[in-house]
Amino acid sequence: MNPDDDAITWGMSEDLMDLNLDHPNPGLHFNSFEEPPPPMISSEGVIAHDITQKFFSAAASLKPGELVKDGYFTLFEAVGSLEVMDPKMDSGCLAPGESLDEDYDVTRPLLPSEVVAIIDQLLCLEMAWHLGYPLSQTLFTSVYIENMLQPSPTTIHDADFIKDHAPDAPRDPMHGALRAYCLGVIKSCYYVNERIKYEHSYEEEDSVTNTYNRSLLENIDLYEIRDEIMEARKTIHDLRHALSDEMADALGFRLEFRTAFLRAIELSELRSDPESLSLPWSQMNGVWQVVGKTRHLGKPVPEAFSTKIQRRLASTMPPRPIVQPSAEETHEHFKRLIADGINVLNVLNYSDSQSLLNFVMTFQAQKPQPLIYIRALLQNFLFHDMVILGRLSIRQVIDDDLSIVVLPNSLLLDPANDEVEAPHNPRYGIAHQMELFRQRAAQSYLDIFRAFCQNRCRVRRTLFHSLQDWETVQIDAEDIDQLLQHQTEEQPLVYPPGSGAPPSHSLPLSSWAYHYKLRLMEWTVQLGFELEIYQPDELAGMYWYLSHLAKTRAQHLDRILFFATHPASTANNHHRGRRQPPLSTSTPTTDASSTSSTPQPQPTATIPPSTPHQTRNKSYLHLATLEATTTHQLADALSLLYTALARLRLITPPPRPYSTDALRYQVRMKPFAPIGLPELPSFDTFSAAVAREGILSVTGLLERAGRAAAAARGGLEVLGRMGEAEAFAVCGGCWERWAEGVKDWTRAAIAVGVAVGAVKRAVVEGRGGGLAVEVPRAGKGYHEWWAVPRVGEKRKEEQV
Amino acid sequence: MATVDKSTAHSADPSPRAELPGQLDYIQYEHSLEAQYLPAIRALISKDLSEPYSIYVYRYFLYQWGHLCFMALNPTDSSLIGVVICKLERHASHSAPTLRGYIAMLAVAATYRGHGVATALVKMAIDAMAERDADEIVLETEETNTPAMRLYERLGFLRSKKLHRYYLNGNSAYRLVLLLKPVDVDAAADPEPDECLPVLR
Repeated sequence: MNPDDDAITWGMSEDLMDLNLDHPNPGLHFNSFEEPPPPMISSEGVIAHDITQKFFSAAASLKPGELVKDGYFTLFEAVGSLEVMDPKMDSGCLAPGESLDEDYDVTRPLLPSEVVAIIDQLLCLEMAWHLGYPLSQTLFTSVYIENMLQPSPTTIHDADFIKDHAPDAPRDPMHGALRAYCLGVIKSCYYVNERIKYEHSYEEEDSVTNTYNRSLLENIDLYEIRDEIMEARKTIHDLRHALSDEMADALGFRLEFRTAFLRAIELSELRSDPESLSLPWSQMNGVWQVVGKTRHLGKPVPEAFSTKIQRRLASTMPPRPIVQPSAEETHEHFKRLIADGINVLNVLNYSDSQSLLNFVMTFQAQKPQPLIYIRALLQNFLFHDMVILGRLSIRQVIDDDLSIVVLPNSLLLDPANDEVEAPHNPRYGIAHQMELFRQRAAQSYLDIFRAFCQNRCRVRRTLFHSLQDWETVQIDAEDIDQLLQHQTEEQPLVYPPGSGAPPSHSLPLSSWAYHYKLRLMEWTVQLGFELEIYQPDELAGMYWYLSHLAKTRAQHLDRILFFATHPASTANNHHRGRRQPPLSTSTPTTDASSTSSTPQPQPTATIPPSTPHQTRNKSYLHLATLEATTTHQLADALSLLYTALARLRLITPPPRPYSTDALRYQVRMKPFAPIGLPELPSFDTFSAAVAREGILSVTGLLERAGRAAAAARGGLEVLGRMGEAEAFAVCGGCWERWAEGVKDWTRAAIAVGVAVGAVKRAVVEGRGGGLAVEVPRAGKGYHEWWAVPRVGEKRKEEQV
Repeated sequence: MATVDKSTAHSADPSPRAELPGQLDYIQYEHSLEAQYLPAIRALISKDLSEPYSIYVYRYFLYQWGHLCFMALNPTDSSLIGVVICKLERHASHSAPTLRGYIAMLAVAATYRGHGVATALVKMAIDAMAERDADEIVLETEETNTPAMRLYERLGFLRSKKLHRYYLNGNSAYRLVLLLKPVDVDAAADPEPDECLPVLR
């Protein structure tokens, strides 16, 4: 520390107190401390100037309330400022007579029931930390943990809350059990914290990874800790008679739970066979039930936890309250953690890229969303070392995806292209262009997966950013498409067939990119419903826009299908083309940066005509078209319904004296404005489309809404019958979640039909004005993405 | 530590209500009023905060943008009933820089809520910022604070995004935006997307 700083700090204190308006007489606390001795202001290499007097005279020229700051001092920094001697801001401020030290004696003998209760409280606090609260307000409020970690232990023997324990002296069994448990809980937090820090998440939103300069036993070997826990379990077992069976079980199960959690964490680093990785999670699941059943045996020791410890942590934050979910809440959260821990492992069973995306999306869409540790694990499984799921290269996954979506049987994806060394061979150029494309698109593609691993608010925000990115991926892909169509000598085709439009090429890569861009756009609009971004009078417009996007995507999918299946399109039928590939039996060499070290069967190599790949492509396009069409129809139905409700004045906009419809349209559509295709409709076009000026009567609107909802139900019935292969949900648990989503979506579609019917009847019978309409909050309706209005009768008094 | 944007205190606590003591006096803050009103401003705002702000935070706003702070005073004894505190700065976003107003704190004494005092204060703040050429006004409010959201949305604000676990108490927030002037889309947009894309139209 610069000695000058000290001088200034202490010199300033009294002046600062004078400025404090809330404490007109602050001297009381202040004078009870003796002024510290002046700091040493000489040391080698430092020339000290005492500026105390200068500072005093400068400060004296300021009037109270004047602000001292330079141009770079931000609000962020201002908010970080503290008031010395304000107990809510100053972490060192003690009440008169209050001591800095804990009064609790960690060496005191503990009853078995007290150990049970302390462990249960530690479980609650650990869960609070998993939920995103800082260690300072959770586990670090335990006096036992604080004593164990301070001073920082370097050996397993030092890691004890009783510091002067002789190495060979027998340990009190209850102290031994609690110590073993504390070792385990801290070590679990270490691993969890490291995993979270390693992956992408948001500090203070998803978690607080700060350890306040405390070491979470990172230098102490996991196996030593495990041995301590085993030893403690054995001791408890031996004392069974003295403790009673019930109590011995209560303690034993808690220790076993910790061992299993540590093992689950340890194994998850392997990314191997999900079955074997799930064993410790299953063990946790079993033990957790009995832990819950023995909770009543605990005798709470509230004095073993204190907010005071926070003063000793490396933080400027004054002590804040302990955050502790109830035992019941903790029980449920752990149950979810364990279930999600088992489910997330299924992602390792890779089937195809679309099932993978479906897995990630449905897994993350669960309510409540899986905890940050599980989300970090999923990221780790997906991306660690740039090897997808521990065994696939990024290229394999992207090529798989291109094959599913646009290029079912294509020369472009033939790994044999990489073998060709003669530059005049078109395959040489194709290999080069395709590698350029992969390098261009890989990050954007993987970012979609990464985005869905974030919290729901961030998913929406991140996808908005990705949108800009995909816009340029599409543009760059078009350039590559044009180069490739020369290499493959692809003949342009008239699309739509018979339309008389000028012939065009298939443009597979940009088509693929455009498809993702459209999906991103739909997802962002849909997440807006889920996150309750829109006001009720915006719903007609937002569902119209969603319907517009989904319709655009359905049309685009039709174009993809045409080119993917059309026999004259060379790019997708290279085996029927003029050039037979110079096939090699050896494993193709690929760019080292995009390939895993594990050789894998190349899914696209040496494919005969009419392959499973073509079937798979058709099946995917069928699914995607059905989802897009159904989305279009139901969104259209809701848009029509909300427009009808607006015309009936059952949903009315607030007065909004400071805004116009056009300005709000700019705010709402800002992320879409820079997108070239599909171009954002002008405000006038949008307003006219949403108002449906062409449909004069409210019943006309409702009839159309009813037809659109019925059409959506038809599509949903087909979706509802799909098995896991057809639904591209081949991954443990994925299909179940997907199918549940389709069910909820169907319920929403039915509810739209019912609401439309109710409003129509009322209008026909001339009692439209007597209706009451309520838009349910997200999560209270049938499906997060479908805000179906509830239509009822106004209560009598409201009608008057 | 509370971070920058977490400084919002838009209060909404259902407490016993009282009639207003006649026509309130609405006045613009100025530096000379600090000794008289700053302690009351702090007290009023701190009530709804889990973490207090240091006096520096208040001065940060009031010293630089006192003209964007308005107070509602009791006509009988000139005591403070409500206050709004704002700033107005150039904001360098991804696209074109804008002059962005920010409503940092808004509070009305619990007993006098429900009489439009907060709305009146916010309107004065918006008018003052609009007069100084603000392009837009933004703020954050707690997701559970329905009265505050209703207040702003009635004036023309839109929710633009949700901010996960934004406050120290673990609650999420909404960012609300009021656009006062049209944005120049061409300045913000990518320069040439249209030239490449029509191929797929």
